[in-house]
Amino acid sequence: MDSYSATIVATGAVVAGACGFVGNFLVLRRMALLGDAISHSVLLGVVLAFLITGDRGIGPMFAGAAVFGLLTAVMVQALGRGGVAEDAAVGVTFTAFFALGVVLLTLYAGRVHLDLEHVLYGEIAYVPWDTIEVGGISLGPRALWTMGAVFLLNLAAVGLFYKEFKICSFDPEMAAALGIPVAFFHYVLMALVSLTTVAAFESVGAVLAVAMLIAPGATAYLLTHRLGWMLGLSVVCGAASAVLGYGMAAWLDVSISGAMAAAAGLLFALALLFSPSQGVVVKRLRRRRVGLRKEDVLQ
Amino acid sequence: MTCGRPGFSPRSVTAVAAALVLLLAGALFSPFSDRAEARVHAVATTGMIADAVRAVGGDRVDVVGLMGPGVDPHLYRASQGDVRRLASADIIFYNGLSLEGRMEEILERMARQKPTVAVSESIPAALLLEPEGFAGQYDPHIWFDVALWKMAVERIRDGLIQVDPEGEAVYRANAEAYLAELDELDAYIRRKVAELPAQSRVLVTAHDAFGYFGRAYGIEVVGLQGISTDTEVGLRDIQNLVAFLIERRIRAVFVESSVPRRALEAVIQGAASRGHTVAIGGELFSDALGEPGTPEGTYAGMMRYNIDTIVAALK
Repeated sequence: MDSYSATIVATGAVVAGACGFVGNFLVLRRMALLGDAISHSVLLGVVLAFLITGDRGIGPMFAGAAVFGLLTAVMVQALGRGGVAEDAAVGVTFTAFFALGVVLLTLYAGRVHLDLEHVLYGEIAYVPWDTIEVGGISLGPRALWTMGAVFLLNLAAVGLFYKEFKICSFDPEMAAALGIPVAFFHYVLMALVSLTTVAAFESVGAVLAVAMLIAPGATAYLLTHRLGWMLGLSVVCGAASAVLGYGMAAWLDVSISGAMAAAAGLLFALALLFSPSQGVVVKRLRRRRVGLRKEDVLQ
Repeated sequence: MTCGRPGFSPRSVTAVAAALVLLLAGALFSPFSDRAEARVHAVATTGMIADAVRAVGGDRVDVVGLMGPGVDPHLYRASQGDVRRLASADIIFYNGLSLEGRMEEILERMARQKPTVAVSESIPAALLLEPEGFAGQYDPHIWFDVALWKMAVERIRDGLIQVDPEGEAVYRANAEAYLAELDELDAYIRRKVAELPAQSRVLVTAHDAFGYFGRAYGIEVVGLQGISTDTEVGLRDIQNLVAFLIERRIRAVFVESSVPRRALEAVIQGAASRGHTVAIGGELFSDALGEPGTPEGTYAGMMRYNIDTIVAALK
C-alpha cells in the first residue's frame, strides 16, 4: 500500500475511533442525532466568528464552531430539563441555530463565499498533503495528530471516570443518589462530543464525522450490552469501516469519506442480521430450533 | 430490552476482523499508475483549465481534469482516483481565488513537493472584481473575460515550460496559436453583443457568475443570488427582480448548468402574475464545460454557446 493510502486509512481509523468512542454514550443516552445537529448549528458560530473577526481562516472558524457545538449540547440539555422531549429539543435547537446562521449570512455576508463546506469542513482525501512542518521537517499529517490527540483525550477522560460515566449513562437517578455530580459529567461528555465532532468536521468533513459518531456505537450495542466491550468493539468497528471503506472507494473510484461512511452502515447491517445475541437471522434460526424441539417433545 | 448474555466470543470478533483486513489488502495493493512515460502528467481542476492545458501542451502533455461536465466547483468532492491523480501528477493547475475552496490550501501546501499553479495568480489585483465591503475576497469567475483568461493561459504556458524546459518552443508556439484563437473568440463575442440594442443588454441569471463577462462586454448583469451557492434566495430578491424585469421590459432570463433553476422559475411566475411575459432564454454554462466531444466541451465553444444563447433570446 502506498503512503498516501496508508495515511488516509490511518486517519479514517483514528477519526472513527475518536467519534465512535464518545458516540457510544450518545447511543446509550438516545442522543445519537446530536452530532448531526451540531453539524448544522455550527453554521451560526462560523458566521458570527467571521462577522466579528472578518477572517475566514481556520482559527476563528474552528473556535466559533466549537463554541456553538457546545452551546447546542447545553441548550438541548436545558430544554430537556424544562420538560421538552429530548428528540424535540435536539430538533428545535439545531434548526433555530442553523436558521439564524442563514439569516445572518444573507443579511451581512451574502456577497462573500462563506459556507461550511469551504471554511470549516475538511476532506479526508487531502489529509496526506496537509502536514505539520517544524523547522523544515515534516511531522506527518495534521489531521492524524489532531484526531489522535482528541482520541487520547476521550480515552483519558472516560478511563479516569469510567464508573461515573457508566452509572450516569445507565441510571442517572442512582448516580445522583450515590453523590455523583450527574450534571457535571453530562457537560464533560457534551464538551467532549462537541470538540470531537468539530475537530472531525475540520479534519475529514461532516459526513464521515456524523456517521462515525453513531454507526460504530450502534453496531457495538447490537453485539454486546457490557459498556467496556461496547467501547472496545465500537473502536474496532470504526477502524474496520475505515479499511473497508477505503477499499470500496479504490474499487469504485468514489468519494473516500462517503465510502467509509457507507462501510460503517454495512457493518451495522451485518450486525443487525447476524449478531449472536440479537441478530434477525440468528433469532429466527433459534426460534426454529426451539420449534423443532417442541415437536420432538410432542412425538 | 433483554439484557441476556451476548453469545459472541473475543475470538470470533478477531477472526471476522482478520478476514476483513485480508479481503481489503488485495483491493489496496492495486497497480499505481499505468500511464506512458516521458510525457508531462498535468492535473487541472476545472474543465476550462484542462482545455487550456490541452491546447498549450499538445502531444507532450497528458491532462486530467478533475471536475467533469456539470460539476459545481463549490460542491466538488475528490474521489479515491482523484487522490491518486493528484499524487502522481507532475504539475497541478487550479483556478484560485477560492473557487476550489479548502482544496486550495492543500494545493498551496503541495507546492513544496511539486509545482502547483493558481492560473489566476498572474492577473493584477486591480483587474479583479471585489464585492463591496469585503476587501480581498475576489470574484473567482475570471474565465468569463477572455482578456483575463489569456493571462491565465500565459501562466499555464510558463508552468509547463518550468516542468518541461525541453518543450519550451512547442509550448510557446501552441500558446501563441491558442491566444490568437482566444482573440478571435473575444472579437466574436463583441460582434454578437453589438447586434443587441443597448437597452437590451441585460443578463438576468440565478447566480452571480457573470460579473467579469458583464464588465468586459458591456452587459448589465443582474443576479438573484449572492456569490456563494449556499446563500438562500430571499423573498425580497425575487420581488425586486420581478419589478426590474417589468420596468426594463426584459424578455428573457437565463438558468445555469450547475445551479438549480427553481429560483428563477419563481421570478418568471411573479412577472406573469403582473402581466409581463418572461421566457427562460436558455441554459448557460457557468462553472463547468459541456460534455466532451460536443462543441460546448471546449472553453471557446462554451463561450460561443453562451453568447449565442444570450443574444438569440434578448434580440
